[in-house]
Amino acid sequence: MSFRKKISSRKFIVTAEISPPKGTDVRGMLKDAELIKDVVDAINITDNQRAVMRMSPMAACGILSHKGYETIMHLTCRDRNRIALQSELLGAWALEVHNILVMSGDHPVKGDHEAAKPVYDLDSVQLLGMIDGLNQGFDFSGHSLHGETDFCAGAVTNAELNEAAFAKLEKKIKAGARFIQTQAVFDTEKFTEFMDKIRGSDTFEEIKIIAGVIPLRSEKNADFLNRNIAGIRVPEDMISRMHKAKSPVFEGMEIASELIKELRLLCDGVHIMTIGTHEKTPGILEMAGIR
Amino acid sequence: MIISKQKEFKELLRMVKELDIFIIGCGKCAAKLHVGGEPEVLEMKNRLSSEGKNITGWAVLSTACSPGSWKEVLGQNPGIGKADALLVMSCGCGASVLSKLAEIEVYPALDTESLGGICSEELVKEQCRMCGECEIWLYGGICAHSQCAKSLLNGPCGGAVDGRCEVDELPCAWEGIYDRLKKLGKLEYLEFVHEPKDYSKKRGGIEIELQKKNILKKIHCDC
Repeated sequence: MSFRKKISSRKFIVTAEISPPKGTDVRGMLKDAELIKDVVDAINITDNQRAVMRMSPMAACGILSHKGYETIMHLTCRDRNRIALQSELLGAWALEVHNILVMSGDHPVKGDHEAAKPVYDLDSVQLLGMIDGLNQGFDFSGHSLHGETDFCAGAVTNAELNEAAFAKLEKKIKAGARFIQTQAVFDTEKFTEFMDKIRGSDTFEEIKIIAGVIPLRSEKNADFLNRNIAGIRVPEDMISRMHKAKSPVFEGMEIASELIKELRLLCDGVHIMTIGTHEKTPGILEMAGIR
Repeated sequence: MIISKQKEFKELLRMVKELDIFIIGCGKCAAKLHVGGEPEVLEMKNRLSSEGKNITGWAVLSTACSPGSWKEVLGQNPGIGKADALLVMSCGCGASVLSKLAEIEVYPALDTESLGGICSEELVKEQCRMCGECEIWLYGGICAHSQCAKSLLNGPCGGAVDGRCEVDELPCAWEGIYDRLKKLGKLEYLEFVHEPKDYSKKRGGIEIELQKKNILKKIHCDC
């Protein structure tokens, strides 16, 4: 069943995230995909995440699609103007990449090419609107396409939102996002408040909310996330569990599986971001009783 | 106001190889910011002289980007005729316009950063990106295009931490937009879907209007 069909069903969705290589050797990426293929519904492929230059997600998704994997291609607004974005999207569709996750993208100053020109010709709402146009067979200037796309598009959000950010999230849905993947959730109370707000708005009817989960690796890793990643807040009690744990890696998996159990009752799926240690993903899902 | 800062003196020396130099300052933004007014021009003259350069003269034009009759400037400043290069202490716009007029090498002494101003004794940068279609009223008077580090027109990104931008840790522009719209009782503006900027509008058409009204000629004579 395709990811699009799965998000139209009542199935609890599981996705996981893989980075394309920094270089041309795709063996590591293929190994990661192999590790998780039996436990996920689709694999997210990041777009130069944290503004660190890597292989194009379209190429990476194309390679994976060719091997039978269902991918969700990340597409940021950071590096491409409206011409390049459309060109990339048409190419992706031709390579049988059917799902797109749209985001603004971390600013170049956060990455390894600080001197790069930040493009941001469109924002994520406008990019979703552009994808909707391509799906209807028209480019952004209104010209007809020879062969349209039929992307299933999604958007991202933090679970803690101010009013302006919530208004933007609603605009993303109105512009065509069919699913939302959230930043990593550690505080399920706060996430419950977020879901209450979502469920209380007609805009989000039929929209699948997939909560981000990062298995902690160590106390230091938790500190790093708190200090460096916007929208992530690892609570003190979890940091202290990581501090006391004999095997921090196992404790991180345990915490992740507990979170997944809770999230299963709150939203429509989970998105696992193990950051390079994909062999843990099947175990975490098993501990959570999902697979 | 155009915000510029002086280049490193070492960089100027690497750039300007000529010996006979005329220095031009600008009486507008560069003078106000103390990077290209009379005191700075005189200081530059002394520093260059002590490095062995021959300063053939100096002038602070009232507006370097619209200097009026170049013939008159030459007439009032015979030192320009004796120089092999002009060192212009104005924004890049002034240096570019003077490059069109002067028949010798023109070097910029300043680096131009942004279009901003001074507000309640505070230097405010990036107030406008000259997009050609001003819509700041839809954002409570705060230009999302220039003040948001990602020029996001429909709302904030997820990168701000405790209301601080991921780029420079300044307050997120969208926090300001929200506060201002709230104060103005216009929070419904947050729901507008803003289309991407139309960069073709930057190509303008103002020249035709100005020519029709004979304004360019008038400005040329007034300067």
